This record gives sequence, C-alpha cells and structure tokens, in this order.
Amino acid sequence: MKIIRYLVTLFALIAALGVRRWRRRSRSHDGTTARVPRAPRRGIVTGDIALVMSRELRERVRSRFYLVGTVVILLVVAAAIIIPVVKHSSAPHVRIGVVDTLSPGARATISSAALTSGASVSFVTESSVAQSAAAMAAGKIDFAIVSGTEIIVNTLYSPSDLSTTAIAVRTVATRLGDQRALSAAHLSAQQAAALASAGPLSIVALHHGTTKGVNATSLIGVILIFIMLSQYNTWILVGVMEEKSSRVIEVLLSTVRPIRLLTGKVLGIGLAALMQASLIVAFALVLSKIVGSTVLHGTGPLEIASTLVWLVLGYSLYSWVYAAAGSMAERQDQVQSLALPLSLPLIVGYVVALTGASAATPSLLVKIFAYIPLTAPFAMTVLVGFGAVAWWQFAASVLITLASTFAVARLATRIYRRAILRTGSRVRFKDFRTSK
Amino acid sequence: MAALLEVMGLTRRFGSLTALDQLSFNVSAGQVVGFLGPNGAGKTTTMRAIFGLTDLESGRVRWNGADVDSPLRRRFGYMPEERGLYPGMRIADQLIYIGRLHGMSMDAAHQATHEWLDRLGLNDRANDKVESLSHGNQQRVQLTAALLHGPELVILDEPLAGLDPSGIDEIGAILVEQAQAGCCVLFSSHQLDQVEDLCESVIIIDHGHLVVTGRVDDLATSGSRRLVVRVEGDRTGAWASDVEGVTLSEVTGGEVRLILDEHVDTDVVLEAARRTGRVSEFVMRRRRLSEVFREALQ
Repeated sequence: MKIIRYLVTLFALIAALGVRRWRRRSRSHDGTTARVPRAPRRGIVTGDIALVMSRELRERVRSRFYLVGTVVILLVVAAAIIIPVVKHSSAPHVRIGVVDTLSPGARATISSAALTSGASVSFVTESSVAQSAAAMAAGKIDFAIVSGTEIIVNTLYSPSDLSTTAIAVRTVATRLGDQRALSAAHLSAQQAAALASAGPLSIVALHHGTTKGVNATSLIGVILIFIMLSQYNTWILVGVMEEKSSRVIEVLLSTVRPIRLLTGKVLGIGLAALMQASLIVAFALVLSKIVGSTVLHGTGPLEIASTLVWLVLGYSLYSWVYAAAGSMAERQDQVQSLALPLSLPLIVGYVVALTGASAATPSLLVKIFAYIPLTAPFAMTVLVGFGAVAWWQFAASVLITLASTFAVARLATRIYRRAILRTGSRVRFKDFRTSK
Repeated sequence: MAALLEVMGLTRRFGSLTALDQLSFNVSAGQVVGFLGPNGAGKTTTMRAIFGLTDLESGRVRWNGADVDSPLRRRFGYMPEERGLYPGMRIADQLIYIGRLHGMSMDAAHQATHEWLDRLGLNDRANDKVESLSHGNQQRVQLTAALLHGPELVILDEPLAGLDPSGIDEIGAILVEQAQAGCCVLFSSHQLDQVEDLCESVIIIDHGHLVVTGRVDDLATSGSRRLVVRVEGDRTGAWASDVEGVTLSEVTGGEVRLILDEHVDTDVVLEAARRTGRVSEFVMRRRRLSEVFREALQ
C-alpha cells in the first residue's frame, strides 16, 4: 500500500509541474492578435502530447519485436515458476538394499528420518553383499545396509555433497549408529523413546537479522529491470535519432514544441514498457496461484511493487539521458558509439546488484548504490529483497532519484532542443558552449 | 485583401558564416511563388526560420500582420527537403497523425487522408509502409502531409526534386490548384523551367540577401532585349561576337540567344548572321527565368 501511495504522489507531482508550465505559457501568449485555430487540447497528457504518446505506444506495441519479446519473457517466467513446483512435487525416492536382516524398529527410524527431509524410502532385500553391489552398479538401489551394522556405497560422498542420496546415507548412518549406542546402553524403553524424540532447542534472536539471503522475486525483478531499461531506452535513443535523420522532426516541430514532443515520446515508450511489465507480473501472479508456487508468497508482493516502482523511476531517469544522446546523433554508427558509454551505469548497477544478491547479507557497495540514482533501481530492489531497508530509506532513495530525474530532464530538453535540428557531423557537448 | 507573409530582416549566423543577412520579402496569398537561389544561398534556412526551426540573431516573420507563433504555424503546411516521414510507419496512419497534430479531428483527418490518397491513386497502399513506396510516391505522400489540413500558407523545399515529368506535372497542378483556392504557396527549386511554368512570382536570394523579386512576366519583359537566331550549319554562335553591343547569352542545339544593348540595330545582327549561313530563325523573345536568375546573380 505504501508503494501505491508513492506512485500516486509521483504522478501528482508530475501533473502539478505540467499545469504550472502550461499556465505560464498561456500567459505569455496573451495579447496576440492572431486568430487561434482549432488546436489540440493542452494539458499534461492531452492534446499534442497525447497524440505523440499514442503514436509511440501504438507503433511500439504493434512491432514484431515487442510481441516476440513479450512472448519470450512470458515463457521464461513460466519456466521459472513451473519448474521448481514440478521438481518439488516429485519428491525424491531412495531405494535401500538390505543384506541379512534389518529390524522393524530400524526400518521405522529410517523411514521417519527420510520423511522429515521430504524423501520417501523403499527397502529391497538382497541375498549377499555381492548382489547388492551389482544392484548398485545397475542403478537398482542407491546404497545397502548389511546386517544393520554397516552401510555400503559405490563411492564415498563428500560432506559438502547435498544430493538426496548423500543426505540419506549420512542420515541413515547417524540414526543407526545412535540406535546401536542406545541398545548398548541397555536403557529402558521409556528412556530410549525420550532420547529418540529429542529435538533441538529453540533459538531466540534479540534483533532482526538479515542473513536469510535475497528473495528470488527481487532477483527476478533486478533482471527484469535491466532487460526492460536496456530495451526501452535503446528504443528512445534510436527513435529520436531516426526522427532526426529522416527529417520528420522538422514536420513535427513545425506544430509541436520540442519539450512536448519529447515528453510524448518518453511517455509513450514508457507506457509500452509498463504494459509489458504489468502483463508479465500479472501472468506470474496468476500462474503461481494456479500451480501453487511459493515464489511470490511471503514478501513477494512487496518486492513486485518495489520492482515496478524502480522500473518506472529507472526508466524516467534514463529515458531523458538517452533522448538527449539520440538528438546528438544522425546515423546508426553514431548511435552505436553513444550506446556503450550510456549503458555503462546500467551494467555496473546490474552487476553489483546481482553480485550483492548472491551474498548472505547486503554488501556496503549495494547499500551505497541504493542511493545513487543511476544504480538505485537495481541496488534498492536487492535491498528490498533482503528485507534490509526501512520505509524511510526507500522513500529517501525515491526522492533522490526523482530530484535527479527533474534535473536531468531539464538538461536533456535543453540539449535536445539545440541538437535535434542540427545536421551534419555528430553534435558534441562543446558545441553547446560555442554556438546557439 | 489577400493574406500576406512578411519576412522582415532575418539574420542567422552559423559561426563565422552568415546564412541570412537582413533578408526581407513579402509573399501574397493566392499565388505560387518560386523561391530561388544557388546552393547555400539561405533558402532552406529561411524556410526553417518561418517555422521556428532555427534560432535567429534578428528578424521576425508575420502572417496577416501577426507575429508567427505555434498556434499560427498549425495553419501552415511544411514539406522539408527530401524525406520528412517515418519510413516504417503506415501511410494512412502517418497522414492522420500529422493532420491531427495540425488540429484536425480524427474523423476529418481520416476523411481527408483517404480523399487525398484516392486522388493520388494510393488508396490501395494506405496500409503499406512509406519505405515501400517509390521515390515519386513518397514525394506525393509528403506533399499530402503538408496539404491535408487545408493550410493557409504552404512552404515546400524542393518538392519537384527527383520526379519524372508526369510527377512534376501532377504536383505542379496541385500547387496551382491550392493557390487558386486562396492558399499562399512558396516553394524552392533548382528546376527553373518548371518554376517559370508554375509560378506567378519569384524571389531570388544569394548569400542570405534578397537579389530580385517580382512577377515572372515583369521580370521576363524587363532588362535588355533578347534575340533568338538560328543559322544553318552554325552550332557555336561565334559570328555574334563580332557585332558591337551584342552578348552571347546561351547556345542550345543551334539556337543562339543574344542579349542586345539598347542602341543595337537588329538589321546589323541579321546581316552578320547571313554572312555565316542561311538564317532559319530570327525572333525577339522574352527573358527566360534562367537568364533572369543568372543575370541577377552576376
């Protein structure tokens, strides 16, 4: 709910600034003697901005790249949700060969120990050690118990081996050893039962720890943010460059002011991105509900909301940077030379966030990056996944990013206005200092 | 009174280069006006200045006595040089979009788009992408984008470039029709013969200055007399250089165009021609626009 409140505040802020700008411009037009034609309505996302926005949205959503990309992402998300469920539902089964006899009590102990680790057990009677070895080699049994006193395996399992068979071998060895020791101690049945039912002491933490590791939902969110920011900002970059190189920009700017044209473009492509992201999230929620996935349980919804917030904020910030860069280029090769330096902060933020997510606790670098606007979309998403961020820290990062976005947007529109109509060689930053 | 475009004292510098230098001229509505000048004269910069597409050091542009601003520009139509369309966008969608940016309603833009495409024989291509059209058809669509909303002033940068004769005739007819309907049509071109056929008036600029402006008829009949002489067997017109007060203007396929000073007696010229061979043509002509252009820039 907090996230929704942040979003509403963000949109209200953008709307208020737009209205102020419109009023100021309306005042500057007062007193003109020209007859005002039937012009597109003015406002925030009405009139010419709405026209530009809807064109961008329609053209992008209609493109084959968008449709194919959406289907591919949905398939990947479906696989990420369904595969763990399928793996979980088919509980591992351990087949144990029994040479000579194994007491019913020992069998019961082994079965209950296996059940607690989510596995099932079956016992196969073998006539000799040699036969059990052959059955192991043929894959018919996983290991064998000889006379209830010895366990035979094909090869030794290392202590770090977490496979089902390795865990089962270690558990059976420990339990049968315990049982043998209890028998040797000649305890009463009551004493033996008390020892058998012994459980660990409860552990009480004085402070909330952050050692649980990052939630899978946030990890998927970081990857989604990276893919979408890369894709949609490249669309902005190439789209602005194409308008310049095709000279259609001259036709457009003869009717629309540069700031409104650029705003419509950024909103239109952003809306296409948000639609795709929302579709993916809705699809993931519905699918996980249907198949009973636990991926989105617990803190999942909060992380999904956080991912969407940072997708919007990240796009808002980067889109202006890419638009300004696109206005300085006129050819594909010029765009390519701009694309790498532009994508560096994206890549650095993404790599640091992913690396940080694999640790048990968030690193200092991730905590710092969470407040740097260019890397915050990745780092803050990871911090939310760790559950290592308070609401005011989240809000502070959002405010820093918003403030930076407004500053970047102002600078970007100035660059765009100057560069978009300049043709010939690529426009460079020093050109803005030397000429009008 | 016809509407009037006033270009007043435009100055635009690019570093050390002065593209427009106090350029001023007027264009009245209801006529097709040719905007001429050599490469780099400042034609495109002037057109862009009218649409606010370039910063100006000084000067203003007025339409019907009012300074041109964004709302006014929506009543104008502009066709930039070469492209000016989204290559990958469907033709009809593109025209409707541009029409709506000029303030048309969805229905009006839709109707006008299909009327224009029908007229240009492109209705069956309405859902094709612009890049799939031939150069000539792209030029037609681009012209439609400039005219769709019924502009009061339409400015076209090289609209005839790269067209075949039938394409030139078709676009020329549309421009004349627009002017007859009361629109002010200003277009640049290097094809002076076509400009002479289409335009009532011309504006010639060079180095950002106005050089000549006026009605084509007035310019053609003003200045020194023109004499066209064809002498059988002569392809150079060298004989004319011996006649005092006569300047060779141009020689095309044996047709020698001469510029006569005021005092020159045409009988003397005829006699000189006869001494070279049999004279098959000897006639006084108006100045061609190409001559007006060349002489204005000298």
